[in-house]
Amino acid sequence: MYWLSKKRYKIGLLIPTLLVYSVFIVLPIIIAVGYSFTRYSGIGKAKFLGIANYVRLFKDKLFWISFKNTMIIFVLAFVLLLTLSFLIALLLNHHLRAVDVSKALIFSPAIIAPIIVGIIWVYILDPNIGIINNILDALGASGLKQKWIGGEFWSPYSIAIIYFWQQLGYLVTIFIAGLKMIPNDVLEAVKIDGATGFQEVRYVIIPMMKSTISTVAVLIITGVFKIFEIVQQTTGGGPNHLSETLVTYSYSMTFTSSDYGYGMSLATVTFLLSLIITGVYSFLTREKER
Amino acid sequence: MNSKRLKKWCSVAMVSMVVVGTLSGCGSSGKESSKEGDGGEVVINFGIHVANPKEQESVTYNIVQAFNEKNAGKYKVEFQAADTESHSKNMKLAASDNTLPEIFWLDASEAPKYSNAGVLLDLNDFLNENTEIKAALGGMESAFTDDNGQYGLPYQCNVQGIFYNKELFDKVGVAYPTDETTYEDMLGMLAKFKENGITPLSIGSKNSGFAMWEFNETLARYGWEENIDSILAGDKKFNNEDLVTCFEKLKGLAEAGAFPENMATIEYFDAKQLFNEGKAAMFGTGQWDCAEFDKNIGEKIGFWWGPTFTDSDYDQEVAMKVPSAPIVVNAEVAEDEEVQEAVFEFLKFYYSKEAAELSYEGSIFPATNYEGMSATDTQYAMNAMLDTLASGWDSPSTAPDLTVTSAVQEALYNSLFGVMQETYTPEEALDLMDEALENSK
Repeated sequence: MYWLSKKRYKIGLLIPTLLVYSVFIVLPIIIAVGYSFTRYSGIGKAKFLGIANYVRLFKDKLFWISFKNTMIIFVLAFVLLLTLSFLIALLLNHHLRAVDVSKALIFSPAIIAPIIVGIIWVYILDPNIGIINNILDALGASGLKQKWIGGEFWSPYSIAIIYFWQQLGYLVTIFIAGLKMIPNDVLEAVKIDGATGFQEVRYVIIPMMKSTISTVAVLIITGVFKIFEIVQQTTGGGPNHLSETLVTYSYSMTFTSSDYGYGMSLATVTFLLSLIITGVYSFLTREKER
Repeated sequence: MNSKRLKKWCSVAMVSMVVVGTLSGCGSSGKESSKEGDGGEVVINFGIHVANPKEQESVTYNIVQAFNEKNAGKYKVEFQAADTESHSKNMKLAASDNTLPEIFWLDASEAPKYSNAGVLLDLNDFLNENTEIKAALGGMESAFTDDNGQYGLPYQCNVQGIFYNKELFDKVGVAYPTDETTYEDMLGMLAKFKENGITPLSIGSKNSGFAMWEFNETLARYGWEENIDSILAGDKKFNNEDLVTCFEKLKGLAEAGAFPENMATIEYFDAKQLFNEGKAAMFGTGQWDCAEFDKNIGEKIGFWWGPTFTDSDYDQEVAMKVPSAPIVVNAEVAEDEEVQEAVFEFLKFYYSKEAAELSYEGSIFPATNYEGMSATDTQYAMNAMLDTLASGWDSPSTAPDLTVTSAVQEALYNSLFGVMQETYTPEEALDLMDEALENSK
């Protein structure tokens, strides 16, 4: 296999992947950014508008509502998923009773198609037919009933909870894999040195799992900016676009209003935002490693 | 050859195969036009906006089957079926790479753009060659003309309004609505239904802003048709006194509890289900749901044009019998005589008396008017519509929501539901429409 270690052969073998990546990922992004400077209805020729779509975007109330919703989901999902999935992984990494069953149960939402996840949660959160409001009714606590989905306030929080439920098992699995990578002799040495459980986690496990934590964080950040089916299935972005996220609003503008140019400007901003947050996170964690 | 060199050449060959395979896989297969079927017949594709034409557009399916049987060995129509949203996307993609089907359905708000892009055939020649069809269309085709000619023909005739369940009206002791029923009378009706725990008017806004057909009459009765041209020309705003008053009426309905509490989380189909199950007294829709109501509600079904408004100066005797979305023909059809002949033969059949009879059998009003057409006694919903149509009220040439571009149309839907869901005031809702119009200029 000596010949494989030569640079030119490595490049040769990478070319097909690079070609596919360029054609199917990089090129569409460039085209989308190009369209974001135009007015285009999907038919005929696009008309160059300069930065008009971006100016419109910053004046568009619905863009700011989608942005706010995306940020609510991001903050909630990031905090809840990162902390709870790590803690659950720590718990499941011990030889507890029914640990395998628990792992399977926690992982199970991750294998359900997102569109089905949405349907399931409609039956839980719907203001009329949903289980939560019906339970509150049955308990005589009708005053606590809310429009968990389809209202102006609760929808982004509900979507964050649904996303959390869906992603938890997947991220727990990644953390468990990370925990398994920590050498047993290190953990045993820590115990022999008399460290408490908290100290073990704080000074040994977390530092040794930094790369896993970073991976999970990036997965959450990029995942939040791709949430689509859950919103479509639970609220359809309504009422009146008030529960849209950046992605669903971009989709609505592009395909429902046939405003491709403006839709692409929304997509570009979403892409940049995701890139910036991921970059900032990577930068901050890299700094700490020094 | 030593083994190192052999491995090297094998790798190069494999890489080349992958690259060539990938690139050839990406390549366009080109236009599939003027095909010959297994029996040597000319095959034409019909792009339709439902995934399962046999179930969801059974009348069109039956017309196509009848045409295929009649022309076996000569012509054959095949469906290119996809749900409305996918169909819309597919047609746009197909228009961009010249792979449009020979005939296809288009949303009325999008069709003019296709016409401007020059991808649609001017059907004036077809109408001039078939004067009996032109006469049967009775001017309904005029909704689909522009500077480029007759870019489409009406797919069907849409009769839109409010269906009601007579049994529920009897149960709460409310008189059936008539042509004389006013908005104030309607508010009284709603209160009775609310007292009895019945949803007065079933409607859902999730992913179905388009499902506002019952309010087309409301818009028309506040002068939509009279003012839309000046609004689109920029001489007037949507946010005008007439439409503010109109939208205030919708707000009034919302405040009176006309709509389901969860209208934001249910779709058009869920709302229809409430009506079918006898949980809602009224449901706004069109003739395409007649067959379903015959099955579920039967003879207890009634039909109404919606309330009239005493504070409007515009004509209140407005019905809504309007052309539905157009079917259009790919301009490239003209390049192949055989295909054009097949397409024109199909259109001749589609607008024939025979096809109109098939339409009536399926409780759908065809775009054409022929003598002697009627529904059978068991087509309850269609008969209810025919009874209401007997008043002879005039209809606008096009439904209000189809008179604007898709961006403004979407803003109209958003605004209507915004007021109904009390997220916008009437003025805010109309400002949104003005903003959408401004952005689309």
